[in-house]
Amino acid sequence: MTSRQVISEFVIEPGTGKAIELLQGQILRVEQVEGGQCADFNCFNLHDYKEFMHCGRTRTVHGFHPTKGDFMWSAPPRERAMLYILEDSVGRNDVLFPRCSAYVYEASYGFAVHTNCHDIQAEAQREYGLTPDDVHDSFNLFMCTGVDADGHAFMTRQTTKGGDYVDLLALMDVLAVPNVCGADVMKTSNFALKPLKLTVSAATEADLAKVPKVPKLASQRTPKDFKNRAIKSDRPLRRDPAYKPDFPNTPIVVTELPIPLTPDELAMFQAVKHSDIYGDDDAAALRDLLFSWWEERFLQAHAGAPAIENR
Amino acid sequence: MTETVIKLRLNQQQLELMDRTIAQGVAPDRVSLVRLALREYAAARRAETAEASR
Repeated sequence: MTSRQVISEFVIEPGTGKAIELLQGQILRVEQVEGGQCADFNCFNLHDYKEFMHCGRTRTVHGFHPTKGDFMWSAPPRERAMLYILEDSVGRNDVLFPRCSAYVYEASYGFAVHTNCHDIQAEAQREYGLTPDDVHDSFNLFMCTGVDADGHAFMTRQTTKGGDYVDLLALMDVLAVPNVCGADVMKTSNFALKPLKLTVSAATEADLAKVPKVPKLASQRTPKDFKNRAIKSDRPLRRDPAYKPDFPNTPIVVTELPIPLTPDELAMFQAVKHSDIYGDDDAAALRDLLFSWWEERFLQAHAGAPAIENR
Repeated sequence: MTETVIKLRLNQQQLELMDRTIAQGVAPDRVSLVRLALREYAAARRAETAEASR
């Protein structure tokens, strides 16, 4: 098969969103109709909604503006690649900002009611039995953002045109929920709400061949690995009287490892140690050096981010 | 030759990482691994300094 077979098409109007069952090997295209429209996006494992896309993990792996060639990851302890960004005609997406909410429009603009991404997402997800509390941090397609010099995130206007699109390839069966961002009094969508076109199609062999390998690790746990496997069904929190702490690798035990250094080695150490942080504590400074070296030599990803390719 | 001894304080997880690195053949033992780290780390800093001064 050389061209994608279209399975379904939708247009989501301003103020709305749509929950779509996107099966493994299918592609969701989110496409500008007029241009200049942000799409907020949520994503859940179709067979276990407790596994959902995690912007924190995604931005740690791919940076603040994930684009073509990046993945959308699920939250720990699952940490699986849920979707692959197969194509992106603009290359400007955001995982810095949270979804806009009714609170924002009431607190900052005085609206009693206003279109907002949280409530639009919640209404779209309600079709599948989810509650407003189940809406998660959104991946903001086409949203143009950055970080200013004092560390605050900012948003600005976008330059997308009609026909611009992002293609998301499902690596597992998911409930994909895009919505037309409700922000018409911010720069997010250039001060106007416009429709978005959604197209679901079957990936071709060529599409599937573009997906890089991702790790399958023992640490990617599922409910069968959980001590609490059942989803809590009531709202109050009550202590489990049978609870016994079972934290991994505890107790943490510190042992001493004497390291003899020659005068030359000591001079080397004195020249590079972080005495600004550790003062006279040479043991702490040498430990820092040891693991800083290890990161430089062996770490395949940014510190704190998992490696993508199989090790 | 007078040697100076620094007593590293490491927990079991940090020692495990060292031992797995040693098992890959990077160094023959823990002390040698730390010394290798020191030499390579210092060399990398010297290279950075030289690059910055160009």
